[in-house]
Amino acid sequence: VSSAFLFAILPIVVGGGLLFYRRDDGLRTYTSVALALFLAWVAWQIPIDIVMQLGPFSIEIAPNLVLFGRNFTLDETQRVLLSLIYLAQSFWLLGALLTKVSRLFAPISLIAVGLLVAALSVEPFLYAALMLAAVVLISIPLLVEPGSAAGRGVQRFLKFQLFALPCILFTGWLLTGVEASPGNLNLVLRAGLLLALGFGFLLGLFPFHAWIPMLAREVNPYVFGFLVFFLPGISAIFSLSFFDRYIWLRSNSGIHQLLLYAGSLNILLTGLWAAAERHLGRIFAFASMAATGAMLQAIGVSGAAGVQTFFALLLPQALALWALAVSNSQFWREVRSLQLRELQRSLRLHPLLTLAMLASLLAIAGLPFLGPFSAHLSIWRALGERSVLVLVVSLAGSLGLAAAAVRILYSWVGPAQKSPPLPVRKDELGRVLPPESDMANPYVMIFFAGWVFLMLGFGVLPRFFLGAVPSLAAMFPQLFP
Amino acid sequence: MQSSFIGSVVVALIALTSIYLLINREWRWAIAGLGLQYLWAFLLITPSWPVELAAVKLVTGWIAASILGLTRVNLPDPPRETLITLPTGRTFRVLAAGLIILVVAGSAPRLTDWTRAIGINQAWGGLLLIGIGLLQLGLRAGFFRTAIGLLTLFAGFEILYAAVESSTLVAGLLAVVNLGIALVCSYLLIAPSLEAPE
Repeated sequence: VSSAFLFAILPIVVGGGLLFYRRDDGLRTYTSVALALFLAWVAWQIPIDIVMQLGPFSIEIAPNLVLFGRNFTLDETQRVLLSLIYLAQSFWLLGALLTKVSRLFAPISLIAVGLLVAALSVEPFLYAALMLAAVVLISIPLLVEPGSAAGRGVQRFLKFQLFALPCILFTGWLLTGVEASPGNLNLVLRAGLLLALGFGFLLGLFPFHAWIPMLAREVNPYVFGFLVFFLPGISAIFSLSFFDRYIWLRSNSGIHQLLLYAGSLNILLTGLWAAAERHLGRIFAFASMAATGAMLQAIGVSGAAGVQTFFALLLPQALALWALAVSNSQFWREVRSLQLRELQRSLRLHPLLTLAMLASLLAIAGLPFLGPFSAHLSIWRALGERSVLVLVVSLAGSLGLAAAAVRILYSWVGPAQKSPPLPVRKDELGRVLPPESDMANPYVMIFFAGWVFLMLGFGVLPRFFLGAVPSLAAMFPQLFP
Repeated sequence: MQSSFIGSVVVALIALTSIYLLINREWRWAIAGLGLQYLWAFLLITPSWPVELAAVKLVTGWIAASILGLTRVNLPDPPRETLITLPTGRTFRVLAAGLIILVVAGSAPRLTDWTRAIGINQAWGGLLLIGIGLLQLGLRAGFFRTAIGLLTLFAGFEILYAAVESSTLVAGLLAVVNLGIALVCSYLLIAPSLEAPE
């Protein structure tokens, strides 16, 4: 069996099959969790391109799959990443059980992750843009459930994400010309501009970010969180492939400086917007944009240190975005408006989820002892060496995000406000039940304990918890020799 | 065909069809226009690709137009688009299309100077469709018009990209993206009238 079949095609086929399963008995989610965990285990335990003897059977996962004359390659160096992707997917699926998200979430998210893995495996790697476009298209039924009308956020999401596709495909063609004549400055400039435009659309960077806060206001925060974690995450890894592949990109210090500045600008603006925002979903959106900005900064650190910083940031930020999605989704189920002035009752009913949400915002802002801190420290050091002004800009953005967390904290513990009553819960017999607090929900307690353990682990013991980072960086042999 | 009289006629037809799509109000004629636009795009792709591969674009485009048409036929007519904040009337759209034609007139010859792979008619047709598609996306509201705008933009891109890339996988995946746009926009059009899950 080939690795691309196992990690890309199998989830797409199983997800597609589960779409046709009509009963609402949880089988779709449990099957998807089981498959995601199985694939995470296989990627972790079974080497690629080595024959293994299991009793009378011999197993070999081949690294190549040829489809329509093109290679889909997932080799030994990508095993850790595959394991983490499917582990993350199982976390998102388990979270879906907690937040009771749409029935389509399990199959569609499985197909989306399969397509994202296909994006990482296709050669030439530029064709990944086509897979990312397919992920955008398939995610629409998750964003707009039957019976509801789509808003302008969904429309912009669709347009802006699809705009990236022509830009990146054309860049690929231009880059082959640049390789042939690296001295042609006009060609380099055009390729660079198209590349920046493509990734600007793909990552939702300023000024192509409008869809992110709009979408956060319109759709289920859990689905939104899934998209703003996986799409920019995989797109950023895709962007690293460009640096690994093209020497003129990785050897150009101006481009790295530009990435540092663009990331810092993104963090500053999102921080300022978040500080002034009173809608919880939009604060989540700005936090996700700040996380993307930080990833851009990490790539801008350049060289082996840059790749390591990138992965050291990606893992804890994934955890923070997941917690933000879980908590926001719970609050959204109780108070659809997600306006802070109406949320006090809900925040007080769910102290653990509120704490996880606050800590996640502060973690993305770069607070010490929380997951992404060590990566932020490397970024800030690199920024300080290049320009103190840009470092101050980046820190001001982080401060804005922290101010948003303080605003939520004030809504939680501040003076009592007139918030609307929470929806009434009923049992099977129609009897009214009291609102379910976090303290009475064992699933929330398990989620919170596990989350705190990992977030503090990443922050306090990064050498142990981020031990997989060098293996992840090894995916890019030119950047991390 | 690249520099021939027929090529120029095809470019003129592309310009007429795409501008008609931009100003048109009746959805049935818009679907017909979209179908014709794919026929002209197919004719511009044939110098770069074998006819059987170029036909994939034509068939995909027609299927996408059919999906949109079949969805739209089952929906009630929405109220006429009203002016909101921007000037979006027919005259404005025609003037905006005129600007696009001017920009394309300047940039198409430079594109062909830049790469010999793209012929002048392909550059004209491709850039024109990209420009008008972007206008469509910016000026027309609703998912039906979004679909037409995106499909127009991608048709233009595919004319240019076909000149530099002839991979079967890419052709297949771009066909999937085109069909996906039509299917997703159709779903978004009918989603409010579907039965909500319990």
